[in-house]
Amino acid sequence: METCATRETILQAIRDIPLLSPSAAQLLQLSAQDDYDIQEVIDIVKCDAALTARLLKIVNSVAYGLVHQVTSVDRAVSYLGERVVAGIALADSASALFDKELQGYEGPAGELWAHDLRTAIAAREIARYAKSPLSADLAFTAGILHAVGKAILSDFLKQTAPELLGSLDGHEIHDYLDGERRLLGIDHTEAGYLLAQAWELPEALQLAIRWHHQPAQAPAAFQPLVYAVHLGCLLAMMAGSQSADALQYHLDKGYSDYFDLSPEQIALTLLEVNEAFSTLQHALHESGDPIS
Amino acid sequence: MSNLILGVGEFGASNSPADVVKTFALGSCVAVILMCPKTRTVGMVHVALPEAKINPEKARTRPGYFADTGIPALLEQMGRMGCDPRGRGFIVKLAGGARIMDPNNTFNIGKRNALAVKKVLWKYALGAVAEDLGETYSRTVAVVVSSGEVILSSPGRGDWKI
Repeated sequence: METCATRETILQAIRDIPLLSPSAAQLLQLSAQDDYDIQEVIDIVKCDAALTARLLKIVNSVAYGLVHQVTSVDRAVSYLGERVVAGIALADSASALFDKELQGYEGPAGELWAHDLRTAIAAREIARYAKSPLSADLAFTAGILHAVGKAILSDFLKQTAPELLGSLDGHEIHDYLDGERRLLGIDHTEAGYLLAQAWELPEALQLAIRWHHQPAQAPAAFQPLVYAVHLGCLLAMMAGSQSADALQYHLDKGYSDYFDLSPEQIALTLLEVNEAFSTLQHALHESGDPIS
Repeated sequence: MSNLILGVGEFGASNSPADVVKTFALGSCVAVILMCPKTRTVGMVHVALPEAKINPEKARTRPGYFADTGIPALLEQMGRMGCDPRGRGFIVKLAGGARIMDPNNTFNIGKRNALAVKKVLWKYALGAVAEDLGETYSRTVAVVVSSGEVILSSPGRGDWKI
């Protein structure tokens, strides 16, 4: 198995990715803080006219079924929730990444965003079953970002999926990450982590991106969040994914140190993932969001 | 040729020879495909969870979500299209029910879905003549109404028939 890309080529590609918009960066910074005032979120949104217009369109879409039209940023933010607002700002700011066709994974345009959104919803739901308090907002935001590295590696993995899957089926490689590393010298979690560093995202988000498939390797203080994203990603793949790497990663059963999850709760989480995803996707579509 | 596309928890049927009945990216979900040779009708339900008792309200608004309400709902719809409402003489095929790499099977909803689907089918004395269930890959399913061909595909694995 060979590609013409080297690790250095990919590091250069990461350096070439534009920075996030100021509002997206500020909202992501805020979402990683333990306590913040919703007014801070509203103030950031009010300074971004395009984001304001987008949020009002989304909250007034048929999918949310509100009786009265929402015309103020304050109400739109409080209705949608800070985590959804941060996700929308991120999607707008980096739509070129999130909406691109994942050719290297044989995934259609929009697949990355769909998987990220499902993961975010699942991670948020899983946070509710945490044995010690875990911010559902932070889990949602980390879920939105967790697989961004695939958008970077995809261009360098074209036509490799059949061979990688063959190696996996033949137990020659451990998981899809292992295959990416053997081909490119870097996997999508490390590529995403390096981009998150370049974007100066909060440490918690950086680590969730880096270790979502190997959560036991995250620093102990961040493991509850990383395990929530780990489980969220796997549940999102169970809910459906049009990407060659779907279901090609191992469950780390260390999650049970941090979460009480019965088979019934897993089923309920899956139900919520499908429902909330459908609502959000319809709302984004009606609002004309490029990623929908 | 037009597509009848079914999302998660949706069911539908067509007797138009120009149609393809399709559902995308089954992970742990199971597609139950019912074909009535007499009327040349193809029906499909995209089952997400085994039993409606986990959320009866959901089962009321979207019966296709669950094996125990989705299959009866599909049979009822096909009955209104001139097929036998008990499914007598039907050809049944199944696809999906994938799993993640989990040695403890705690997350193996795919297996539970497949078992629940078969249990419901048994009540109607129906059994699958072909199935592609389990394993660790997602599946998109397309059924050509004119020929009854069931074509599965998965990114990186091409397509195949069952």
